[in-house]
Amino acid sequence: MIRPALHRPSVRGRARADAGPLLLVAAVVAVVTLLAGAAPPLLRATADDAVRDAARTAGRDGDVLAHARWEYDDAPDGGRIRAPRLAEDVDDFRERATEALDPGLRAVLRPPVAVVTSPTLKVTEGTAPRTFRLAYLVDGRGPHSQTRVTWVAGSPPAPSVPPERESLTVPYGGPPWPVQIGLSEVDAAELGVRPGDRIPLVDEFRRAKDVQVSGVFRAEDSGDPTWRLAPWLLRPVAGADGVGTTRLGGLLSPGSLPDARLAFDQDELDRAVRFSPEPGALDSGTAEAVTGTLVTLKATSGASSVQDTSLKWETQLDLVLREVQTRVNAASAQASVLLAAVLTGAVLVLLLAADLLARRRTQPLAAARQRGTGLPDLAAELLVESAAVALVAAGVGLALARLVAPGVSWWWAVPVALAAAAAGPGFGTLHAARATRDRRAPANRAARRWLAQTRQLRGAAVEVAVLVAAAAALVALHQRGILPAPAGGAAGPWSTSDGEAALPSSAPALGAVAGALALLRLLPAGTRAALRWALRSRRPLAAFGAARAAATASHALPPLAMVAAAALAAFALTLGATADRGLADGAWRTVGADARLDANPAAGVDMRALAGRVAASPGVRQAVAAQVVDGARVTTESALVTPRLVVVDAAAFRRLLATTPLPDAPDLARLGPAGPGGVPALVRSGDGSLRPGMRLRLPRDGDAEAVPLTAVGTAPAVGGTGDVVVVDAAALTAAGVPVVPNTVWVTGPGTARAVAAGTDGVDTVLRAGVLHERRGAPLTAGLLRLAWTSAAVLLALGLLGLALGAAEGAPERWQTLSRLRTLGLRLREARWVAAGELLPPVAVAAIGGPLLGVLLAYLTAGPLALRVVVGAEGDPPVAVPWWGIAPLAAAFLAAVAVVVPVEAAVRRRRRLGEVLRAGAG
Amino acid sequence: MTADLVSVRGVHRRFGSGPASVHALRDVSFDVAAGTMVALVGRSGSGKTTLLNVVGGLDRPDEGTVVVDGTEVTALDDDGLSDLRRSRVAYVFQTFGLIPVMTAAENVGVPLRLARVPTVERERRVELLLDLVGLADHAAQRPDELSGGQQQRVAVARALAASPRLLIADEPTGQLDAETGLSVMALLRGVVESEGVTVLVSTHDPVMMELADRVLRMHDGQVSC
Ligand SMILES: Nc1ncnc2c1ncn2[C@@H]1O[C@H](COP(=O)(O)OP(=O)(O)OP(=O)(O)O)[C@@H](O)[C@H]1O
Ligand SMILES: [Mg+2]
Repeated sequence: MIRPALHRPSVRGRARADAGPLLLVAAVVAVVTLLAGAAPPLLRATADDAVRDAARTAGRDGDVLAHARWEYDDAPDGGRIRAPRLAEDVDDFRERATEALDPGLRAVLRPPVAVVTSPTLKVTEGTAPRTFRLAYLVDGRGPHSQTRVTWVAGSPPAPSVPPERESLTVPYGGPPWPVQIGLSEVDAAELGVRPGDRIPLVDEFRRAKDVQVSGVFRAEDSGDPTWRLAPWLLRPVAGADGVGTTRLGGLLSPGSLPDARLAFDQDELDRAVRFSPEPGALDSGTAEAVTGTLVTLKATSGASSVQDTSLKWETQLDLVLREVQTRVNAASAQASVLLAAVLTGAVLVLLLAADLLARRRTQPLAAARQRGTGLPDLAAELLVESAAVALVAAGVGLALARLVAPGVSWWWAVPVALAAAAAGPGFGTLHAARATRDRRAPANRAARRWLAQTRQLRGAAVEVAVLVAAAAALVALHQRGILPAPAGGAAGPWSTSDGEAALPSSAPALGAVAGALALLRLLPAGTRAALRWALRSRRPLAAFGAARAAATASHALPPLAMVAAAALAAFALTLGATADRGLADGAWRTVGADARLDANPAAGVDMRALAGRVAASPGVRQAVAAQVVDGARVTTESALVTPRLVVVDAAAFRRLLATTPLPDAPDLARLGPAGPGGVPALVRSGDGSLRPGMRLRLPRDGDAEAVPLTAVGTAPAVGGTGDVVVVDAAALTAAGVPVVPNTVWVTGPGTARAVAAGTDGVDTVLRAGVLHERRGAPLTAGLLRLAWTSAAVLLALGLLGLALGAAEGAPERWQTLSRLRTLGLRLREARWVAAGELLPPVAVAAIGGPLLGVLLAYLTAGPLALRVVVGAEGDPPVAVPWWGIAPLAAAFLAAVAVVVPVEAAVRRRRRLGEVLRAGAG
Repeated sequence: MTADLVSVRGVHRRFGSGPASVHALRDVSFDVAAGTMVALVGRSGSGKTTLLNVVGGLDRPDEGTVVVDGTEVTALDDDGLSDLRRSRVAYVFQTFGLIPVMTAAENVGVPLRLARVPTVERERRVELLLDLVGLADHAAQRPDELSGGQQQRVAVARALAASPRLLIADEPTGQLDAETGLSVMALLRGVVESEGVTVLVSTHDPVMMELADRVLRMHDGQVSC
């Protein structure tokens, strides 16, 4: 094999002569490798944050729960044996559950809390329906009643039998077994009891219970997550047991736990061990393994019908993690799409730069050829140069990426570096070969036509290939979507850099190139038509500009780079804007207004009065009070459903909706006083369990009869996407159900100010705050930032393409202009002619490019699964960011206004006389 | 005609500065009578192109004045020079200087467009001029589809389009073979006769000099008759 001979001085000399363009190539490679190298690891880091966030905010859904039955305590000869060491038994149970966990899973869970709870009892005194539960909590630091409460009155619950009788046998069917409990200050006040008092309680079979208050406690840290498992121990909780009910709780101690066991039937007391996830221990890598372990754990856990004390596992954590994993996958896929777009723009600009460089070098290269340097040698020399530039620049870019990101991704930097390294020698040898071939066009017209036709055919073949690839990519995107196939389970982020995902994620980029080619097909015809018009017109400048434009219209690379970059920039902008709009819509849906005030049930705030006060504040358009009950129990003819029940003044609610971008609910007009079929209600459900026309019943507590409802229409979505039942407040009151509003929705520009002061016992949820928080959520923020950055980089690439294209055409353009100047064209006019030449492709890029980008966004928004990142049920509607697209277009047009004077200034010092000297020109 | 169309007085032109500077024109003075053809001859590097550029307003002298058709060229600003070239002075270059993206007819029409001559009139005049230079059949061809001699004849037709008073030709036959060159020279000679244009032409060719009314010899930046 003959090694190509490198002539070092020529390599060095050429590099020195063209330092500017080479530096430009280096800059493009460095910037794009920086972005491509840093974005994936940054996104991976945000994916970890997202997983932690999800675990943190999942609440009880994130908990892993183990249940186990108690061992039967029947005495061999009848009766039940009191088990004085029951607390130790619970400790053992906790240990057992911990031991049973896979170590990998245990590593991401906090130390468990065991919780023993009684069934729900009813307080028989008082008008408002109140419920009561007994609970015993124990975590690694010991039972709660001993370590983390202060007894402000009375004493901790004690055994109800003296120590010498602690293991006595209680006959079946005796009187209620006495049990002591502690109450929080708020619960005690609510019940109006003091230490020593008995709470009048019955179970669901109306059997009385003997529950005595031993003391009143105050939690040392009411924020301790352990309390989360039984919040009603600390304060009354509204709605936990149906509309209009309040649940309270009594705390058991190790001493009174055995009595609680005897106070209830064999299986009535529930014991569970609850593990909360430790968000800090999770990341997107471990999440996948944890999900798998959880699925196995649930699958192998004993069936609930088995009458033994084995552990039964229950958790939604796998679903929570899988959901966030899906979001991570979607975000990485969308990031791939954006990066593919940036890479496409960069590769086109690099090709353009290489072409420009090769044109500048045609003469020295042709001279080198004539001196006897072979084409392979020339190519090798050029390759040495461009590879050096590309490698150094890519190295710098990746080093910078390492500085700003926790890691570096090589994968995406490779195509840029390759394009930069290969384009230089490619174009260089091509131009050198062409220059040394006999360049004279054949005199024979037929031969000339044949040459032109082959050239056209070659071009058309390339275009068809790109078109086919783009169409295939779009089809693939629509068929399999951007997310990894569900069969593959929860794949880690960026694990899909295989060929399977590469085609769909490059669909927008390929689409932009194909669309740009199609647009540019029209450009020569367009400029020819313009030329015909201009030649007929009497405006000399138009004629000259159009003539030049028509001559350069067939040179496709510069406008291709511009149009594709503009299209992809607009695409990135539209993607970002659509996601952002989806977030904004989501915030409206979640809050339901500009602000939502949620009453703390214990505080007893009069929300109706509060609504009145807020409504009177300046800048408030609507303030509507409602009672919102989550998980309200409603029975249909065949089933029990637990929708969100909204009791509200229907007319006011409709006025409120009219002041929001939320969809109007005309059916609200149908709500009103009860008719023969019952109280009219609007219903909404995702699975069809609630449909207009249905007859529903709203069960009530105690002896009161259930309220009949008729579904007369479709309810608006209230605060999310779940099932909703809306009833008019006045109608429900008339039907005998007390309505206590716990929510106020406020709209209007003055909302923030009106609710800023806050009210004790009321939580304020501002829509702006919710939106801010969601925009700031790790994945979302990362994706939005990437979208904006990509748009900016693509715009810069597009403008660079414009500048390079202008530079490429400048020698010929100004040669013609100098010739026109010798014929009397003024310098000012020459600038106009130059602008007229540059304008057609730039106008296509400025106008056609963004339109193409928006079209691509419409074509791909659905499969790109923005809904997953935004957290919406359906695809957010495509939002066209005119605020971004208009400046994008303007930037291109303005660039012409910059390029032309710069070109003129550069040539100003060259006198016309010189330009036209023999040989020059 | 006796009046001088061109009057050059004490023109100096230096290129560069310091020891490397070139004194291309040294105190050049001469007159050209209207309606004559004057040949400028001299060795390569003697300053012919520099002088023609200065006379036609494509370059400015460091010293001295140039008056063309009663206008002091050396006192004109950039726009004034453009107007001068638009209406009264035309060029024919050694390298032809045609606009590659336009046909022969369009090239010839350029000065008429710049002068905003109505379309119909422009087309008539272009036809006439192409006829004059013998290229009526090649009107629709682009420069790269024409031979060198044809291109130069298009350039002459274009130079004549706006009916200039002065036609400056810098080695118009430099890139042509002897016979073609002669025909272009003869064309210029004919133009002087038929259109009354004054022609200032630089050349190396002794045959061409014979066609001229007068020969100016340049040597080392100086003119002698
Ligand atoms: N832009 C310039 N910078 C420096 N020197 C110049 C420049 N233009 C011309 N010269 C010098 O001025 C002198 C005259 O050049 P000019 O082109 O006028 O000669 P010429 O007689 O036209 O030659 P030729 O017959 O070869 O065309 C030469 O020495 C040339 O090197
Ligand atoms: Mg010369």
